[in-house]
Amino acid sequence: MSDQILAGLVASAVALPLLGFVMFALPAWFGARFGERFVAGSVGLLFTCSSLASGLAFLALVFSGRSAIEVPLGEWFSVGSYGFHWTLIGDRLSLPFAWFAAMLVGLMAAFSRRYLHREAGFFRFYLMLVLFGTGVELVVLAGSLDLVFVGWELVGITSALLIAFFHERPKPVEHGLRAFITYRLCDVGLLSAVVWLHHAVGHTDFVSGQPWLQLAVPSEGHHAVWVGFLLLFASMGKSAQVPLGGWLPRAMEGPTPSSAIFYGAIAIHLGPYLLLRAGSILDQFPAVAWTTFAIGSLTALHGSIVGRVQTDIKSSLAYGSMTQVGLIVAEIGLGLRVVPLVHIIGHAAIRSLEILRSPSLLHDHHYLEEAVGTRTVRTPRHSEGVIPRGLRSWLYRYALERGYQDGFLREVVVGSFLRFAAVLGVIDSALTGWIGGRDAVEEERPR
Amino acid sequence: METSTQPQSDLAGLLEKLAHLLPEQGPLQTFVHHNTLHALEHLPFAEAVVEASRRFGTEPFQTEAAFGKHLESGRILPTDIDAVLAVEPEGRSAGESILGGLTVRHFRANRLRHLFEVPRGAALGWHIAESEMLERRHPMVDASRRRMLTSQADRYHAALPVGQRVPRLLREAWESLVSSAREFAVVRAPRSVRRRDQLVALGARDVDQRVQPLLIRLTASFLDQGVAAWTMPEREMGLLVAVRNLYTGSVPRSEPLLRAMRLEFRRQLEAGESAEETIEAALDALGIKRDEHESYLGATLLALPGWAGMVRQFELRPDRAPVEALPARLMDFLALQLTLDGVAAGLELERFRGPGATWADLEQALDSLGTDDHGPSLELAYEAFVMAQVAPVDLAVFSRPEVVHRWLEETLACSELERRRLLHEAYERRLRVTFLDGFAAHCRRGAVVAPKPRFQALFCIDERECSTRRHLEEGHPEVETFGYAGFYGVAMAWQAIGEHRPRPLCPVNLTPEHFVTERALSSSESVAWDDLRRRRGLAVHALTEGSRSLAAGGLLTAAMGPLSVVPMIGRCLFPRLTERLSHRWVQGGAVPPKTRLVLEREGHERDSEGRYRGYSVPEMVDVVEQVLETIGLVRDLCELVVVVGHGSSSLNNPHEAAHDCGATGGGRGGPNARAFAAMANHSGVRVGLRERGLAIPDSTWFLGAYHNTCDDETVYYDLDLLPEAHLASAEEFRTALGEACQLEAHERCRRFESAPRNGDIAAAMRHVQGRSVDLGQPRPEYGHATNAYAVVGRRSRTRGLFMDRRAFLCSYDPTTDPSGAILGGLLAAVGPVGAGINLEYYFSFVDPVGYGCGTKLPHNITGLIGVMDGHASDLRTGLPWQMVEIHEPVRLLMVVEALPATLEGLLDPESPVGRLVVNRWVQLVAWDPDSERLWEYGGNGFTEYAEESLVLPEVDSSAEFYRNERGHLPCARITGAELGSESQTAQLEEAR
Repeated sequence: MSDQILAGLVASAVALPLLGFVMFALPAWFGARFGERFVAGSVGLLFTCSSLASGLAFLALVFSGRSAIEVPLGEWFSVGSYGFHWTLIGDRLSLPFAWFAAMLVGLMAAFSRRYLHREAGFFRFYLMLVLFGTGVELVVLAGSLDLVFVGWELVGITSALLIAFFHERPKPVEHGLRAFITYRLCDVGLLSAVVWLHHAVGHTDFVSGQPWLQLAVPSEGHHAVWVGFLLLFASMGKSAQVPLGGWLPRAMEGPTPSSAIFYGAIAIHLGPYLLLRAGSILDQFPAVAWTTFAIGSLTALHGSIVGRVQTDIKSSLAYGSMTQVGLIVAEIGLGLRVVPLVHIIGHAAIRSLEILRSPSLLHDHHYLEEAVGTRTVRTPRHSEGVIPRGLRSWLYRYALERGYQDGFLREVVVGSFLRFAAVLGVIDSALTGWIGGRDAVEEERPR
Repeated sequence: METSTQPQSDLAGLLEKLAHLLPEQGPLQTFVHHNTLHALEHLPFAEAVVEASRRFGTEPFQTEAAFGKHLESGRILPTDIDAVLAVEPEGRSAGESILGGLTVRHFRANRLRHLFEVPRGAALGWHIAESEMLERRHPMVDASRRRMLTSQADRYHAALPVGQRVPRLLREAWESLVSSAREFAVVRAPRSVRRRDQLVALGARDVDQRVQPLLIRLTASFLDQGVAAWTMPEREMGLLVAVRNLYTGSVPRSEPLLRAMRLEFRRQLEAGESAEETIEAALDALGIKRDEHESYLGATLLALPGWAGMVRQFELRPDRAPVEALPARLMDFLALQLTLDGVAAGLELERFRGPGATWADLEQALDSLGTDDHGPSLELAYEAFVMAQVAPVDLAVFSRPEVVHRWLEETLACSELERRRLLHEAYERRLRVTFLDGFAAHCRRGAVVAPKPRFQALFCIDERECSTRRHLEEGHPEVETFGYAGFYGVAMAWQAIGEHRPRPLCPVNLTPEHFVTERALSSSESVAWDDLRRRRGLAVHALTEGSRSLAAGGLLTAAMGPLSVVPMIGRCLFPRLTERLSHRWVQGGAVPPKTRLVLEREGHERDSEGRYRGYSVPEMVDVVEQVLETIGLVRDLCELVVVVGHGSSSLNNPHEAAHDCGATGGGRGGPNARAFAAMANHSGVRVGLRERGLAIPDSTWFLGAYHNTCDDETVYYDLDLLPEAHLASAEEFRTALGEACQLEAHERCRRFESAPRNGDIAAAMRHVQGRSVDLGQPRPEYGHATNAYAVVGRRSRTRGLFMDRRAFLCSYDPTTDPSGAILGGLLAAVGPVGAGINLEYYFSFVDPVGYGCGTKLPHNITGLIGVMDGHASDLRTGLPWQMVEIHEPVRLLMVVEALPATLEGLLDPESPVGRLVVNRWVQLVAWDPDSERLWEYGGNGFTEYAEESLVLPEVDSSAEFYRNERGHLPCARITGAELGSESQTAQLEEAR
């Protein structure tokens, strides 16, 4: 296949979802309304096409033996020898990921047509879904970290808005905000990494590497280590790693299909995706790799302990997700590359189906009881049995309180920040008083 | 110790009383429809809903805006308003004139016809200052009244330029209304007693935000029936003890609330406090005076009513726990809640008002909050002002203070609640009149002529079987149908062959005395079946549990995960096919073993639960005799009598059990039908019946069947026992019922917006089957939605009447029951069940958030006992919006074929059904057994019903009448039922 066709395929994987968003958002802005069938049908169709495009491109890539398909999108600006380019890249990492993500979004679009039928926010849901899909395709197929950032933000905002989908109740809004704050905090990591790379390398493109393209490593070691840590931090928020994962169970406020696709399948795996792109740094700097491994394994351990005491099905599945994503991050820290990718796809498929099926729990439990014929079916409690009694109660409390992480974040992190800000405030008003006299302070004080 | 027993027993009594306010819904696995406001049934309906609204902050009726739409659409007619006002019992004379010739009744009729919005608070201020309300007449003023106002203005303000006359007229009326309105005392909502509410009112942090998530996860862990892998340590000691022991251990510094709690729990442990003592201590610490205890505890319980109610249900009915009964006590829950409340509120008080602050300080601060507020009186003036414009009065008289005062008084008396109550009456009246007119007209034309029956079929009284029966009779006139509560008199605890625990299959107010099970005919077949199911079940279990664990989950998701893309695609795109394939996989080619009921018992010993193992022959005779006598099937029995139980199965639906048979207590009624048929076929029973004068011919055979109301499939029981002579007729009946069920599916589809509007019958069947197995389908069926009527009487008289699947049909033959004894028993059984279903739908519709459980989409199953909204919310009770969205909230209209005198003798206000009728929770109508005369029950007994319209449409077939219609339909006479089956057979053929 010619280069142009391949480039067209890769570009359309992003362009089709974007087209869908523009197609709905623009007329809706001017007050147009669409029928349920039309909205769901076209979203499903666009993502199916997007998925087919990435799938085809991937096959072509594998059979032609190339390492990547580059799609230049143009230049933002250039100054002398420096140019800021936008490119999309289809390689062995991005194409399977893009194929799979678009397929899932398409399936959710089909599923939600029945699930959200007659719901007041039907159109809003689909608009968010398309925008999310666009964001994901952009993150995945981006040729540089700059473009990743654009998609990353789209994913973040749509995720927060869908958690707060039922905005007439206070809790969903509160939990949406919580996820949003966590995302924004971690975005600082991504943005700083981008700036740092521009400073140290001059660009943020994914350049070379095995088995897929990876970031260019700054020649000076300490630059690379900092960029590595920043990217790790950036990925921790989206993929709910310890200690920032408290938003994940709370995110199960939206309609079930959005929970499935965001927190069971796609959004939560974007963190590991970013780390896979930064593999070059992890490979060269063991400090970053070991930290990644440590955070991943702690998260997996934490998720599995806390998940054991969750009494509602969606929290239970959320911690199941957290556990597996922790494992995936740990695998990346260990230097594995293809295994995590397979793990991501497998986990996404299984988990999203489980979340979709979660309202069937009573039905399934009844069937299970009938089939197995014992009074109650419980997970074998081997791990619980070997723990001494005192520790067991400590561990149970730890699990029920979710590792006290919320308290830690609230009292220690946010609390000290607020205290620090208060000190700054005192200094500030003292300085203002010193410079401008007492009146200036009085004037400034809000009434 | 003597000193402490007194308050303790007080407290227990108090809690007993308060617990009635909690929702009475048990674990979701069995869903029993009941009157949401069962606790207030001793009050008249209209008072009870208002009282509940005050206590729970819920809506008593539909909103005024909704009624406004009904007025607009003609769902409520002006004549309904007049008729409702005409029978309104008024304290003072409704005919009394307010001013001019305008009576109170006129005033109200005008007010109800003009439903306008009254701007509140700041919005009203803006309206007065910025809009032209004082210059222009209100938009609701119609043309003739506009002219009237203009001429008044011309008359009184002739000196002014033309353009200023009307504004002057309006302004003068407005000013005198405003100045008089100040005299009306403003009713301020009483101050909330909860410390949390008081803190919030002053601007402190919301303590519930911290306490409730904790309380929810503790209670959920305590009650969990098998979602969590680790159960709460020591939960067998009760909630309070378990939590105390759990939370006295070490806690990091970053958790001030948990640390304070730990100290409090330690104190409680050291003092060895009981739950009662803890409650007393917590109330003391919160500074609550003794006379406020009741209101404080009530308000506290209602902060998380779902969870408190569930604890209560576990306490009252441990036998209904889905997996494991637990030592739950509401007292423990309350003690825990008050402990947490006390600790958290104490911390917040110190944070907010400084160290050493006391509750008295807080109350003082509350008292000093501003109380001068003219808002409400201004709103009253606004309302009276608009009324003065629309009602036919002379505005000039508003210069007289006594007129203004009277006008305001009437405006205030016709408050929003009062208007909604009256509009609700009018809304109900329209439906009642429409139905009764059709009903009477049908009766007047006489029973439809049907051939001599060849089959008789018993159905549940459920209104979903109303249309199945109609289609069956329409297509096959030689079938005669009867309605009896779907447990068919067999009040049993049932355990099917695979199940490991019996479940009651009888109305909730009965406790089953008989335990019935089944046995496999061939043990090898059964072992193979069990084995396979067990293996498949364990495999599925291992997969679902494994994917959530660490190591196994890692292997599983990485290695097998990609495979689940296949079921994923299937479930999303081809739900029906996928379910069929997965069903086939689970069954693995094995066939369920043939079984027999273990029904007959010899001895009289009871098991450990106090139940007999099966029925003795005389007991079976009782059951069969009672059912047959009640429905009047005592002579002319056909060769084949089919007994049809019903239930519903659907995927991805936590409220699945709410679609099952209400008469079996939210269970599936197949086994009851099967057991009844087996009893009636028993030769000993036949002999016993003959001795009692009820001769069942030897040639008669009873056949049990089960109808799934979700996918409209039917199953027959014990076909292998069927005598050869009946094979052909059984086959014929199966075809007939199969066709009726297809048409039933077709008729149901008209209500589903996503179903093809004019699809053929086969497509309709595919559609409803798809719904029942679709993970993405929140409306597998509409259940009891739209239920509105109950008809107790001979089916022969209502046969051929189209009642839009909205009527509970209960067979009763007044000619065999001169004393009314059978009717009394029947009403006592049917009344509460029908009213319970009807009222639960009423309340979940009028307040989907307060009484119902809101939209299904964010529902999250907790502990296998209920659903939460998303993450860590209160347990949600009532019905989801998707189940009730097409419902019309009206009280059940019960038409009983009996003379008023007979019914009056049966209405004991002390009995449950009497209370429902007397307090107007159901509307009762007596129906003359010999003519079409009807009598409505009202406050002063029965009054004869006068028909409004004598028109009743006649159509050939049901399908012809409902074609193209999505909404509610009036009555119609289906003449096809008389002529025979041609039209229907033709339809079926066309579809194929």
